[in-house]
Amino acid sequence: MKSNVFNILKKEIREIFRDKKSLSMMLIIPIMIPVLILGMSALFQSQMSKSGDDYNKIGFAYDLSSEEETLVNDMNIEAVCGSEDELRSKLDSSDIYLYVTKEDNNYVLNTNVGSESGGYATSLMKSYYANYKTLLQEEALTNIGQDANQILNIITLEVNDLGENNFYSMYIVGYAFLFIMMAITVSATYPATDTTAGEKERGTLETLLTFPIKSRDIIVGKLLGVTISSIITGVLSLVLALISFEVANNQFTIYETAPITISGLSIVMSVIVIIAYSIFISGLCIAIASMCKTFKEAQSALTPLTFVAFFPGMIAFMVGIKSTAILSIIPFLNFSLVFNDISNGIINYMDILLMFVSTIVYIAIIIYCIIKQYRSEKVLF
Amino acid sequence: MIKVNDLKKKFVKQKNKKEKMEFYAVNGVSFEANEGEIVGILGPNGAGKTTLLRMVAGIMNPTSGDVQFDDMNYKKDEIKIKKSLAYLSGNTKIYNSISPYELLRMCAEFYEVKKDEIDNRIQEISRILEMDKFLYSRIGNLSTGQTQRVNIARCLIHDPKYYILDEATSGLDIISSQIILDFIKSEKKKGKCVLYSTHYMEEAENICDRVIMINHGNIIKEGTPDEIRKATKTSNLRDAFFALIGSDNNEE
Repeated sequence: MKSNVFNILKKEIREIFRDKKSLSMMLIIPIMIPVLILGMSALFQSQMSKSGDDYNKIGFAYDLSSEEETLVNDMNIEAVCGSEDELRSKLDSSDIYLYVTKEDNNYVLNTNVGSESGGYATSLMKSYYANYKTLLQEEALTNIGQDANQILNIITLEVNDLGENNFYSMYIVGYAFLFIMMAITVSATYPATDTTAGEKERGTLETLLTFPIKSRDIIVGKLLGVTISSIITGVLSLVLALISFEVANNQFTIYETAPITISGLSIVMSVIVIIAYSIFISGLCIAIASMCKTFKEAQSALTPLTFVAFFPGMIAFMVGIKSTAILSIIPFLNFSLVFNDISNGIINYMDILLMFVSTIVYIAIIIYCIIKQYRSEKVLF
Repeated sequence: MIKVNDLKKKFVKQKNKKEKMEFYAVNGVSFEANEGEIVGILGPNGAGKTTLLRMVAGIMNPTSGDVQFDDMNYKKDEIKIKKSLAYLSGNTKIYNSISPYELLRMCAEFYEVKKDEIDNRIQEISRILEMDKFLYSRIGNLSTGQTQRVNIARCLIHDPKYYILDEATSGLDIISSQIILDFIKSEKKKGKCVLYSTHYMEEAENICDRVIMINHGNIIKEGTPDEIRKATKTSNLRDAFFALIGSDNNEE
């Protein structure tokens, strides 16, 4: 008895590639990846430049000394002088972000420290008064005939950055991988719904079941069809992500010191994770959609999967959960954690192997359940 | 030969919010259909015709009883049986995104028709059913009659031994219906065994060798159209049917 898996696969692929909606889901969703990567990079860059340029309007409720005037110019601070009441009013109307009051030698920074603008302005003025303090100390020491430089710089401190990635590049790569998972999930949802609940609703499933084909061949053929469509989305998303990383490295100064780098091995491992995740999510989508009577019902049932695919990974990424042997067998989380490792340049073969083996076990269970369903008429009604 | 033995199918339906009710859509039906014979399954809507034929076609599992095709049964020879039968209903849907040629090719591959014979077979069937004009058009763009002709072609592709036709002419115009009836008659001549369900009594009278009348899942009469007319002292199957069901009537 010849297997009909290939014939079913041919039928599924033909239907997916001839259906405009399936095709657009498969090919258009990956276009969101460059938008996300370049958009987030632009946002980070604007936040970085904002800290220096946009929060430098500072009020002074006292007369500036000549040293302070020089320092204000050097640090590109836009000084607004006036009474305390006037400055308070300007702070309330966001004309300035901080004002300084002075009593003898005690300076008070008045602002809303919890706000974004207040935080940046406070940081700026702390730096300003540290510089001013040093200036006054140098003057005082020089006046009493001491070598100010030797006393003030009795020790020196430098920061040597040994990290290959900076915060921004890690953040961007981490989120790009999560978004690839989300794209695969969305891409699997439509053909999985169409090939199960859709066929049932259109009445073609009954026709298919009259053919001399084993339920196993029907399910495996359908699963392979949806999986191939998901893999295309995943690989296309990865390729677009890699191109976007290159573009981002060249376009944004935030990546100047530590550019986004993905090694060849990391790319290969990413493709393996994409294949494993595509098989898993396609099987899950088919299993859920098979239980639904209509296309609409299946779509409603599958919508939460998009969030389930995204949130465990996002939480793990934000909290900083690291991949372990146990976590590598937990569905959804395992793919996210392996992707997270890859984004940090870590390739843990054992975790990847556990992820792959556990996926095969889950998919075998899923296929068994769907075959059982297809052997009874429940799948039709 | 198709032999149906005491076939039953139980369904459970919701009577009200709390209670469920069991009922038999087919309740102990037995009959035989031989080679070169067209056996009509007649009955009103809801009589159990479709459930009965779905079980015979292997789409539905019976609650009890069995169906034998010569010496084969579904428990042991499901794939073998399906290879030798064709199932067509008035509601049978086919894939809209492909052409009749692609559909027939796909079906031929499912039925394991020899590769070098597939194209000749498609061309021959296309000529018999006058499908040449739309053989390469998308099925979604065809009329109801043309689609049903494609459906018949699908049934013919593997030259089956048994036909299970469930209200195959339902909703078709007289020309399309006639094409199907001619096809059934020609297959009968070739010695094929045909189970044909309909609620058009005149149609059954015209083509069936034997008729099985069912109502509420039970056989209420079985015989040749002549035998049934004589037994009920009526002049046609329509009147015979009403005479048999009396006041226990659904809609015809």
